[in-house]
Amino acid sequence: MELYSPEGLRIDGRRWNEIRNFECRINTHPNSSDGSSYIEQGNTKVICVVQGPMEPALRSQANSNEATLEVNLSVANFSTTERKKRSKSEKRMVQLKTTLERTFQQSVMCNLYPRTLIRIDLHVLSQDGGMLAACTNAMTLALIDAGVSMYDYVAAMTAGLHDQTPLLDMNGLEENDMSTLTIGVIGKSEKLSLLMLEDKIPLDRLESVLAIAIAGSHKIRDLMDSEVRRHGNIRSSKLAS
Amino acid sequence: MNVSEVISITKPVGLDNDIDSDVEMSDSENQAQDSFKQSIVTPGELVTDDPIWMKGHGTYFLEDRTFSSVAGNISRVNRLLSVIPLKGRYQPETGDHIVGRITEVGNKRWKVDIGTKQDAVLMLGSVNLPGGVLRRKSESDELQMRNFLKEGDLLNAEVQTIFNNGIASLHTRSLKYGKLRNGMFLKVPSSLVIKSKNHSYDLPGNVSIVLGVNGYIWLYKTSTGINSATNTSVTSNTNMFRASVDTTGSYAIGQGSVSITRLEEESSWEIYSDKNDPNISNSVRSNITRYNNVLRAMSFCELGITEQRIIMGYEASLSYSNIGSLIDKESMESICQDIINNEKMRG
Repeated sequence: MELYSPEGLRIDGRRWNEIRNFECRINTHPNSSDGSSYIEQGNTKVICVVQGPMEPALRSQANSNEATLEVNLSVANFSTTERKKRSKSEKRMVQLKTTLERTFQQSVMCNLYPRTLIRIDLHVLSQDGGMLAACTNAMTLALIDAGVSMYDYVAAMTAGLHDQTPLLDMNGLEENDMSTLTIGVIGKSEKLSLLMLEDKIPLDRLESVLAIAIAGSHKIRDLMDSEVRRHGNIRSSKLAS
Repeated sequence: MNVSEVISITKPVGLDNDIDSDVEMSDSENQAQDSFKQSIVTPGELVTDDPIWMKGHGTYFLEDRTFSSVAGNISRVNRLLSVIPLKGRYQPETGDHIVGRITEVGNKRWKVDIGTKQDAVLMLGSVNLPGGVLRRKSESDELQMRNFLKEGDLLNAEVQTIFNNGIASLHTRSLKYGKLRNGMFLKVPSSLVIKSKNHSYDLPGNVSIVLGVNGYIWLYKTSTGINSATNTSVTSNTNMFRASVDTTGSYAIGQGSVSITRLEEESSWEIYSDKNDPNISNSVRSNITRYNNVLRAMSFCELGITEQRIIMGYEASLSYSNIGSLIDKESMESICQDIINNEKMRG
């Protein structure tokens, strides 16, 4: 198996700086949630549903200074080629959940919603690399759809290193064989709100990997922005009467 | 390697549009679209770099520049710049007529779910209690608050004030407010309800509606005349009196007394009764369901809801004999199309 051919093509035929097919929809579940989104990043598919800000069910969840973010991440048993039962208490799941909560605690203006709870349910329907990135993007869209105040988009992207070449937007096969970096970029800036590296990358190569990942995130941000605008224009044209 | 260049693959949707606009769109239409696009902003977008503007809701201020924090339309009121989100939880405003559901009975207050970020409060002092408006609230009232309103009860009320912390305070000190009976509940996104002077209407088909500004809707049988209401209230009044004497063995002030003015009679125990009217005919029931499905169709198509549109939707729905089939996707779309066409014809 050749991950990166001498001609510069990857295992699925992409070039080094090419992202997979990215599609997103917002307001997919208008009746059962305050905000919702659906994302396809290649073969990784995620649904996100936001409830709130709302009165917390438990008193312990009420913080008098800011909103509590609660992320529930569930990965479907059928999401990989091999059917496998997954529990929510798995170490990796808890880690991802905490990462997402911390990322969004900074970009959501939690101080505007004291004593409330924002519940975010993520459902991974299919995974093929870049699950954390897809979850982050889905959360961003669903929170915007819910009308929750945020400083900016959080757009996430993965990148890896193959020998000397940085590769953008890893798929499942590449992710298994290479070290993968996941970053979340705030809007069009170069500020990172999420950085996760589950393996090793030589320090002198990190910069080029980061640079291409940031550029990819900006692209994702543009794609998400155009979807928000598309939906927003439809919506406001219907409301005007 | 040029890092700034990222290749992305998407459906060529934009391409199609461009071709269309080149061929078909006239200049004026293009301009309209441009100005429209300008009016929508998304989080992180620069709204203005002029520090003269005061920042309102939905914006934030960084280094003398104002950015949007939500996706929505810009609104300018004098110097105040705010962004109104396209969607979001209901924001209560003083004077709003709303429908809510009791979630908690607390110390001299009820907590009411009205679809806001935090539950609203209804103070014991801001409800009409049996025995007229002028009576004072006693300790026994505090103890029997669950007899008036308990968890799960629906009521319509008005927003009295908004506290500093954003919690709304409600009141039901009018005859048109109070507990809801004889009907069914329905929830639509609050952004679809268009604010108007009046939010409770009598509709054709012997059905009335309370169209809460918060998107909670109550459809019920139109109450018949004042006479029968007073009659029943007097009889049930005495019944309730006997019952409460039997159970508690104590006499609460004003309880069971027959008053002179209508207001006092109406605010008797009757208004807190849990019993539905026993004679709601089948036709009224099916009309209520029909309205329910019409409203669901309107919310499906994201159509703003007004009294007129509900009636037009009802008329359009009459061509469907099977009420259950109204919420098929095609029928919902055709009903909404009928409403829009009808509105255009009337101008």
